[in-house]
Amino acid sequence: MSMTSTAAPSPQTGAVKVAMLISGAVFVLMMLVGVLMRAAQGDLLDLDPALFYQLMTAHGAGMVGTAGLSGAAIMWYFLGRHVALTRWVFHIFLALFLLGVVLILGAIFLGGFGAGWTFLFPLPAISGGAWDLGAAAAFLLGLVSIGVAFLLFYLEAGRAMISAYGGLGNALGWPLAFGGSTENAPPPTIIAAATVTVFNTLGIVVGAAVLVVSLINLYLPEFAVDALLAKNMIFFFGHVFINASIYMAVIAVYEVVPEYTGRPWKSSRIFALAWASTLLFVMAVYPHHLLQDLVMPGWMLIMGQVISYLSGIPLLAVTAFSLIVYLKGSDIRWDLAAGLLVLGVAGWSVGSVPAIMDGMISVNKVMHNTQWVPGHFHIYLLLGEVAMAFGFMAWLVRGDVAQSRFTTLDRLGIWVYIAGAGGFTLMFLISGALSVPRRWAVHMEDWLTQDRIATGFAVLAVLGALIFVLRFVGGLGRSSKA
Amino acid sequence: MTTGFQRCGEFALALLLLLLCAAFRRTLEADPVTHMLVQLPALAWAGWLFAGVASVRRPRLEAAPTNAGGGAGLLIVFFGIVFWMLPRSIDGALTSPEIEAAKFLTVPFLVGAPLRLSWYRAHPILRGFLLSNALSMLGVLAWLYMAAPIRVCNSYLVEDQQRLGLAFLLVALSLAAIWGGRLFFKPDGGSAGDLLPDLKANGSTSYDT
Repeated sequence: MSMTSTAAPSPQTGAVKVAMLISGAVFVLMMLVGVLMRAAQGDLLDLDPALFYQLMTAHGAGMVGTAGLSGAAIMWYFLGRHVALTRWVFHIFLALFLLGVVLILGAIFLGGFGAGWTFLFPLPAISGGAWDLGAAAAFLLGLVSIGVAFLLFYLEAGRAMISAYGGLGNALGWPLAFGGSTENAPPPTIIAAATVTVFNTLGIVVGAAVLVVSLINLYLPEFAVDALLAKNMIFFFGHVFINASIYMAVIAVYEVVPEYTGRPWKSSRIFALAWASTLLFVMAVYPHHLLQDLVMPGWMLIMGQVISYLSGIPLLAVTAFSLIVYLKGSDIRWDLAAGLLVLGVAGWSVGSVPAIMDGMISVNKVMHNTQWVPGHFHIYLLLGEVAMAFGFMAWLVRGDVAQSRFTTLDRLGIWVYIAGAGGFTLMFLISGALSVPRRWAVHMEDWLTQDRIATGFAVLAVLGALIFVLRFVGGLGRSSKA
Repeated sequence: MTTGFQRCGEFALALLLLLLCAAFRRTLEADPVTHMLVQLPALAWAGWLFAGVASVRRPRLEAAPTNAGGGAGLLIVFFGIVFWMLPRSIDGALTSPEIEAAKFLTVPFLVGAPLRLSWYRAHPILRGFLLSNALSMLGVLAWLYMAAPIRVCNSYLVEDQQRLGLAFLLVALSLAAIWGGRLFFKPDGGSAGDLLPDLKANGSTSYDT
């Protein structure tokens, strides 16, 4: 039976709350795993190195996946304000995501898989007896399941935006960016969501291909994989995916901050141009992950470095600068949600500085395998994406805006979190500058002081995060009212 | 709306495709690239056109309740494609007249025709998923044919199958550009071609539920 269905745009609050509850719980759990790893590196805890690498794999996959989940929930919620979304798609998305999580956790903690979330060829297949092929296959299948979940999510988001705006070009704001036409200009949420939909769908398709290739190679190793091609495909997928999680989360800033400032976040021509350039840069910049692969074509490495400089401009010049302009002189009444969302943009911006430095070939030669790298990505994730996700969670259960208060517990939580996350990431950068290697389960005597200080800061960050999550759980019965 | 003239044209084109595939059978099948990427798609296209003509004469074909959401038809297409992707089947078509005849019957009528009768009834998300999956799996096939340490078809050389792998990659990239491009630049605004053919500008959709 063929029929027509029309639905009015409305956010899917219940399902999004479930997604954010899962995200918050996993964030805290994975942070605790991070504390264990830093404590073990600091010799405060006796952790078997094999277990360390299993925890590192769980931490990496768990955090990247949960950053994606929380970002997707934010995008879905606010996209639902502007376009009619098919609601069951989000349920299937959640179910496939959780199936993937079960497979990945089983692979790691039952099968002993510890090759890192990047599953770089040929490590999953050549474990030296640390895990069997079944564990590696379960891990890869788990990623496939999560990839399919996101593919369905973006297909529905894309369908809804094409339907409402008459093509992705319009949803991306290209008539505004390249023609200056303000007629029917999409709101910032649509421009950001359309951009992420395009580049992350491409990333997922490439990721699916390399995952299936890796699965075949596990059982039929005579079907050889070109290691460099596989690495390129994995890092294209991985780079694009983790950036997508931040770009999806920033939608919360575009939608929520105006409620506090009373100034709507508008789609200007510069805004649309910034996102149009981000669409190109986010896909073209991934070779900066491969600067130590000397067999890479030289032009790709140079492109990675040059675009690393450029990719910071739309971010810093548009989102952060606009935020300052919107906040300046506004009659904003701060609360936990507003504080965390602004912190998220600040952390994202600050984190891009050491990231751009590491994207320089001459710096990367020295710093790539040091803790400088986890230093920069922990800044823009812990103080960026995760802060935005916690901010969105606080806003989601804020209740009536007139009764919203910045309580002492909220202030304590946010300052403890800033101090903990800031100190923790700074210790990574200092350790990196001192050439302390990353991904080592056992550290030398000279490195233990930084590890122990970092462990203390990590505990503070977990405490802050715990306050945010418990506060969210306590307010689950409430919804945000402007 | 399809006119009688268009119907005749489609029918004639379908017949022409079948005849050309048969007439140039040896030439097309001499090379795995033209066998897999010219002859088989042309046969499927012929079936697609036949189904279009038939559904105008028999509208119930397109609205069959047994094919709600296009599920049954797409499953037939899936198994049809899977069978003709097997190197053993391709070898059989080259060496056995019976299997060759089966190819000329099954590819149009178990792949092309049910695809036409099911595609527009499927949910847009399913269509999008199938197209995305087709792109990534064409990439995987490209790798499989280029990396295979053995001849997968007895009738073709290793160099031939490597060329076929490269051709799969080019097809994947071309389809990605074409399908993706239509989503961006569709001039009428409300529709996005075969990917999402029945989306209306007001946000409504029309497909089987």
